[in-house]
Amino acid sequence: MKTPSKLGSVWRDYLERSFSLTVPAAAILAAFAVSGLIILAWGSDPIAAFGALSSGAFGSPNAIATTLQRMTPLLFTGLAVAYGYRGGFFNIGAEGQLYMGAMAAVWVGINLPDLPQAILLPLCILASALAGMLWVLLPAYLKSRRGINEVLTTLLLNYIAIQWFEYIIRVDHFQKDVVIYGGAEANWKFINFLGLKDAAQPHPKSPMLVDATFMPSLQTLVESKWFTALFGNAAWYHDLLQVNALDRITLAPLLGWLMALFMFFLMFKTVTGYRSRAVGANPEAARFMGINIKQTLFKTALISGMLGGLAGGMEVLGTQHRVIPNFLINAGFDGIPVALIGQLHPLGAVLSSLFFGALRAGANKMQVITSVPVAVVYVIQSLAIIFAIAGTTFDIGNKLKKRRISRESDEKKKIAAADGEVSNA
Amino acid sequence: MLEQFGSIFLDVNFYTAVVRMATPIILAAMGSIFAERSGVVMFSMEGMMLMGTVGGIIGSGVTGNVYLGLLTAMLFGMAIGLVYAIVAVSVGAHQIVTSVGLNLGALGLTAILYALTFTRGDEIIQTVIQVPGLSAWKIPLLGDIPFIGPVFFDHLPLVYLGYLTLPLVWFVLYRTTWGLKVRAVGDHPHAADTVGISVQKVRYAAILIAGAFSGLSGAYISIGLLNSYMENMTAGRGFIAYTAIVFGKWEPVGVFLGSVLFGAADALQLRVKAAIPVIPYQFLVMVPYVVTLIALISVVGRANWPAASGLPYKREES
Repeated sequence: MKTPSKLGSVWRDYLERSFSLTVPAAAILAAFAVSGLIILAWGSDPIAAFGALSSGAFGSPNAIATTLQRMTPLLFTGLAVAYGYRGGFFNIGAEGQLYMGAMAAVWVGINLPDLPQAILLPLCILASALAGMLWVLLPAYLKSRRGINEVLTTLLLNYIAIQWFEYIIRVDHFQKDVVIYGGAEANWKFINFLGLKDAAQPHPKSPMLVDATFMPSLQTLVESKWFTALFGNAAWYHDLLQVNALDRITLAPLLGWLMALFMFFLMFKTVTGYRSRAVGANPEAARFMGINIKQTLFKTALISGMLGGLAGGMEVLGTQHRVIPNFLINAGFDGIPVALIGQLHPLGAVLSSLFFGALRAGANKMQVITSVPVAVVYVIQSLAIIFAIAGTTFDIGNKLKKRRISRESDEKKKIAAADGEVSNA
Repeated sequence: MLEQFGSIFLDVNFYTAVVRMATPIILAAMGSIFAERSGVVMFSMEGMMLMGTVGGIIGSGVTGNVYLGLLTAMLFGMAIGLVYAIVAVSVGAHQIVTSVGLNLGALGLTAILYALTFTRGDEIIQTVIQVPGLSAWKIPLLGDIPFIGPVFFDHLPLVYLGYLTLPLVWFVLYRTTWGLKVRAVGDHPHAADTVGISVQKVRYAAILIAGAFSGLSGAYISIGLLNSYMENMTAGRGFIAYTAIVFGKWEPVGVFLGSVLFGAADALQLRVKAAIPVIPYQFLVMVPYVVTLIALISVVGRANWPAASGLPYKREES
């Protein structure tokens, strides 16, 4: 009967590597409590406000679809920050990587519109991942080879990426037979090959992507042939067809969860992840263990950048299907609290990104029903972050203290024992 | 096209605009040098500035006195600074994460405070509220000098405070005991502690100073430049100020020049956008960031930032 004990040890193993839910849960509760006081000061009923908030986030298929849409980019940027942070590369450039990823996905989508979905969609996803990696290449090199602080370089590259986007979204996208807005003669230059703007209209907008780039949604699943053949006669199937949010619930959040699972295995079950965490925890010790620090840091940074790029790709391919200026504000920066409230654990990021996504999705309904302003949601998020980070710090402090105390008492015992031996002799 | 580009630089108004746009960055960046040098990463400037914008409007609107508005803005900025100091210095939480949280919270809190102050009954006032705003002080004599007068000496009073920060910060940082303490705490908190300097106290004071100046910077934008309030009206200038500190390698003169560079890029960008649409203005906005990046990379310009930057200090308990 070996199996149960082995299973038990696997489970224990998992728990040790898992995250503590206590601190984030307490932080979120405290954040709601304090925000409730603010809502009282506002002159509204906090219970009613939070009720409207949660029904706006989970109350209907439509609400759930919105929550999932808000959640997905945050999940990817949260994973990017978490993996990088554990590996000693604090990537605050997820914002820029996200923009690059979104641009790359759109660029591939509008340049290869004739490919079938089975090829084009993966190609777009791949492009966004590569773009994210490309954008972290310089900080990764500078950090791993020359020790230049990655916080500063990734931060600066965010702004450069955003300005590049602001430029390229205003450059007409090269198309053979297009009537340029205003009827001007087309005079294509090389830059138009990179341009993302829909030449046929005046606004800085990319053309709508072709259907072959769309993430498959629940609707495509439900309407697919074999699904109809299997369940076509069931009553619930016809009810399901009536749900109007099916096309907005796409594969993107599922890919996010799968990615989180993959990152969990990468971080805790592979040599790559082990080395990365060792370098992040203590580079000196890692060097003594024979780990190539430069290579490991570089790899960590690239994986983190890839996740940042994917965040942009998922948003474009799963939700917006085009890019416009400010198409997604601060999702990269907000990856930092998502990762930290999630205890820098991939599965923690799943929960905290869902929390952030739900708050954002439900905020509007709260304002409409109870006239409590959307801004309260920012306060809730902010308090949750601050309580969580403060709580985690306290926790770590206590643990370290306990460990030191126990180590010291062990040493005292040893000394006492040694003294005893001496006196005995 | 070149001629048009050149003509921008011949226009006095351009230089006036540079001074005007540089001031909020100067105030926030110069005010945050002490905190940065004491080893605290001032990513929370954005939140402090946001609180300053609404503080200025509330103080000025409620009391009718614009200088009380400035005072309120300072206090609001310092309030965020106090929270930041408690969480990042006393508790020792991660500074950048705490800052991101505070910036988000300030974004929400400003909107709520504004609405709470200017709401009558159940109705949220949607129209733009006008409050008493700052007016320009033309310096006598100096203000009448051609070119130099309008560019430097015919501005809002906060602009002159911006000029004063350069000698002031330099003097305090390099010629006073407290400045020495700040530098010691930032470079080697443990050593500073052994000689009896309270690391926590110095960092608290430095963060509160940063909060006051960032609050003023926010008020400059709300009751100075625009004389009204919008949500998120600092629009990332707090991060620009942070970049200016990095650009200036934590030295007062460099930080001041960095702030002016960012102000100039901002002013130039606006003009080019209006006058020469052929030139992509986005690249002009990009320039200071690229320059800062190159400055960071180049061996000559290796940043000598405070050794203990971002590290919380906990005294070893015996």
